[in-house]
Amino acid sequence: MVVGDIATGTEVLVIGGGPGGYVAAIRAAQNGLDTTLVEKDAYGGACLNRGCIPSKALITATGLAHEAGTAEFMGIHADPAIDFAKTVEWKDDVVDRLTGGVEKLCKANGVNLIEGEASFVDAHTARVAHGGDGQGSESIEFEHAIVATGSRPVEIPGFSFAEEHVWSSTEALAADSVPDRLAIVGAGYIGMELATVYAKLDAEVTVVEMLDDVLPPYEDDVSRVVRKRAEELGVEFRFGEGASGWSEANDGGYLLETETEDGEESSYPADRILVAVGRSPVTDALDLDNAGIETDDGGFIETDDRTRTAVEHIHAVGDVAGEPMLAHAASTEGIVAAEVIAGEPAALDQQAIPAAVFTDPEVATAGLTEAEAEEAGFDVAVGQMPFNASGRALTTGHTDGFVRIVADAEAGFVLGGQIVGPEASELIAEVTLAIEMGATLEDVAGTVHTHPTLAEAVMEAVENAQGQAIHTLNR
Amino acid sequence: MTIKEFTLPDVGEGVAEGELVTWLVAPGDRVTEDQPVAEVETDKALVEVPSRYDGVVEELFVEEGEVVPVGDVIISFRVDEDGDGDEGREEDEGREGDDGEEGDPDPEAESPPKEPDAPAGRAFAPPSARRLARELGVDVAAVRGSGPGGRVTEADVREHADAADADTGTEDEAGAGTADGPKPVDIDASDRRSAVSKRDGTTAGAAEGSGTPTSEPAGRETTLATPATRKLAAELGVDLDDVPTDATREGEAVVDAAAVRAYAEADADAEAGAEPTTATSPAAASSEPDAGEDRPTEETVPYRGVRRTIGERMERSVYTAPHVTHHDTAEVDALVTAREELKAKAEAAGVKLTYMPFVLKAVVAGLKAHPYLNSELREDEEEIALKKEYNVGIAVATDAGLMVPVIDDVDEKGLFELAAELTDLASRAREREITPAEMKGGTFTITNFGAIGGEYATPIINYPETAILGLGAIEERPVVRDRSDVDGGVLDEEDETTVVPAPTLPLSLSIDHRVVDGAVAAAFANTVMEHLENPLLLLNE
Repeated sequence: MVVGDIATGTEVLVIGGGPGGYVAAIRAAQNGLDTTLVEKDAYGGACLNRGCIPSKALITATGLAHEAGTAEFMGIHADPAIDFAKTVEWKDDVVDRLTGGVEKLCKANGVNLIEGEASFVDAHTARVAHGGDGQGSESIEFEHAIVATGSRPVEIPGFSFAEEHVWSSTEALAADSVPDRLAIVGAGYIGMELATVYAKLDAEVTVVEMLDDVLPPYEDDVSRVVRKRAEELGVEFRFGEGASGWSEANDGGYLLETETEDGEESSYPADRILVAVGRSPVTDALDLDNAGIETDDGGFIETDDRTRTAVEHIHAVGDVAGEPMLAHAASTEGIVAAEVIAGEPAALDQQAIPAAVFTDPEVATAGLTEAEAEEAGFDVAVGQMPFNASGRALTTGHTDGFVRIVADAEAGFVLGGQIVGPEASELIAEVTLAIEMGATLEDVAGTVHTHPTLAEAVMEAVENAQGQAIHTLNR
Repeated sequence: MTIKEFTLPDVGEGVAEGELVTWLVAPGDRVTEDQPVAEVETDKALVEVPSRYDGVVEELFVEEGEVVPVGDVIISFRVDEDGDGDEGREEDEGREGDDGEEGDPDPEAESPPKEPDAPAGRAFAPPSARRLARELGVDVAAVRGSGPGGRVTEADVREHADAADADTGTEDEAGAGTADGPKPVDIDASDRRSAVSKRDGTTAGAAEGSGTPTSEPAGRETTLATPATRKLAAELGVDLDDVPTDATREGEAVVDAAAVRAYAEADADAEAGAEPTTATSPAAASSEPDAGEDRPTEETVPYRGVRRTIGERMERSVYTAPHVTHHDTAEVDALVTAREELKAKAEAAGVKLTYMPFVLKAVVAGLKAHPYLNSELREDEEEIALKKEYNVGIAVATDAGLMVPVIDDVDEKGLFELAAELTDLASRAREREITPAEMKGGTFTITNFGAIGGEYATPIINYPETAILGLGAIEERPVVRDRSDVDGGVLDEEDETTVVPAPTLPLSLSIDHRVVDGAVAAAFANTVMEHLENPLLLLNE
């Protein structure tokens, strides 16, 4: 032991205080386990500090301004001005409140909090280096560990986030001013959410995507709704082009250079270039091999359905354990990890992990698509309800999109749902519950839905799948 | 014997109908479970449909060559009721046993139609049922679901697990609390027995004798359950501690609503089966267990009559009046002497003189000085009635239980008169010849547990009275006295006091604290003690 190195012991060591780690730590402490949480940066992880929460704050603020300014059809004439500095201040307040809340919750549940960067010394010891010179380090002996170090934005060759004009989502969410021209590499959910935000902030937004549509993992009719709306907002799309580099332009700005598969080159002027092509796991500083844990080619830690790594007493949860890289998946995994360590019969056996994209309009899905259900061998029944047939949707002025329900034609079990449209992120909860409970179409159709609400569209889609819809023609 | 109908099962791959190609059995044939009864051709395959029952083929409803939708009745069997339940369990055992065993050539494992045909072995079960399955070590995909479309419920999982347990467990365990087996027997739901008769060894024995699976009470000390489950248990008259469960939480057994329901049903079935052979009269319930029954774990006696009346009154008193018990000890040398002196006189008068008449008189002295102990709180009228009569009840232990005959107007009676009356009442109480009128009208009660032994107790007030005095045994006990009062017994020349043996009477006075405060209770006890220690004062009463 070196001088200044203090050894302590804990039953459960949680590395990383994001939505996977802090939830795991709290649940472990609730189960009576002596729990220590190490966070190197800010409690709440990427979700609270650099992801879900700041992006939703900006999406809501810009959406509100945009909506107020485009409601002439309702007889509302307004030209909202956005004081962006104030918007950012408000966003930061929201983040501070939530991260402070996480810290308080951990403490109130008896979690020992340590600030620093943890790495494995061996399978039962970790060293935590405290930030800054002369702050020293400490060794922690643990019985169980939960690795929840999350992910960071992926860099692509030629685009270093160290360059001031090259943004990752982190910088895009922390900007203190709006660039006149924003080029975005990648039309995935992060790229599309930020394209929407900056388009509504009146930036000229160009999105470059190697594939042929926005939101590649989603079905065509879902993506189409989002793309058309983004185009209406003024977003320019360049599909089939990959970012190859950038150069300085004469006007003091930059040029984003792209190339098609056929070698056709183009360039787009921009003041900032946002690279949003995915996230990669953060494992490099962990010295995982000291603990006997290997990562796969993508750098992810492989885990079983009880979140255990190859070294059974060490668990991994959240983005670092692979797809789906979603905060709520991380939290679920964190709870399972803590309960498995406490000896409870927990496991990751969810039938559906919902996902939401906060574009305009929103997209939310859960469970199987029609194609996936067929692939899995189901005799599939599908029902759909367009929002332009929903009374409530009409009264909000947002009628783009639809609810689709995928079910097993025989037994009627709800297998999946795809929603694109207003409040899709909220509406998906009902579909998810139905899937998880093994509810049938009849169960959902037999549940009375409030009128007039958007949620009725879920019921209508279910009835459509039964061939008994009232407000749509049954297909 | 019952008739069981059997529908064309889902033969897999999302097939909605099939052509019944060949019947492999004819009416009158005896079939065993899983024996193929028909060949059915779908657009995908020719499959054999196995019987789900042991029994005799009753009727075929479909012609060969006919196309039958899944779910239509194709055949019926005459099934022995008892056998059916057992067979069903064995089938599940077989399946469970097959799991994970390499190279088992058991034909059951190959029978094509698995009940809910979910592609890729997906089980439609809510998270709660899946978690329970993990807890019980059950593969949820192997559980036959009873819900709509074959959805697996927690009860299904439990049933599956119980069936698997039965495989490895003893006969007794097999019978314990499974919801499996007994098919709904036509019994009136209102025919459920109380928890008392449920615990009755003879009933259970008879049920087993009749071959109906029964649910043996688990009889735990504590059981965890949600409020909703507790409510359900109360509604069904089920003692949660009796519901079998394998689930635990922090070492304590956990019971859920499904288990409670399953237990209540199994229990009702068992009792329906037991009905013809077991009388349900209290006499039968309290009778000795059958000779044939091996080692009953308990004997039950009816909670009725005097016992229940006592119980109810105790309950009412304790839950109505906040009790405080004051303890003190009277040094009764003088009382012992006085009684000795009077005893001969009493005998001459034909009376047996105990200490009780003295105590009665001392109590009256106390009550006169502290009238609140001789009172009744009338909450509704918002008043306390201070009684001007001194009618003192004497608690008497009888074979049938505690009785409290009352001696009226103690203040107006002499010692010998009281002695005579006491003797009379006590003997008649024990003979159960006492009239209800003679046990009414008390204003204060004395309980003489010391007659049997002991020093102090916490007597329960004979509600709606306000106080009760308990008497310990009068015995010689060490007391501290001034040396000047004592001959000998010197421990130390310097000491002014010394410890000597002396007859003492331990007193335990319980009061209703709503009416009387501790200081008054102590003052009352002091007055009583003063009169017991100086019996000459009783002359004044």
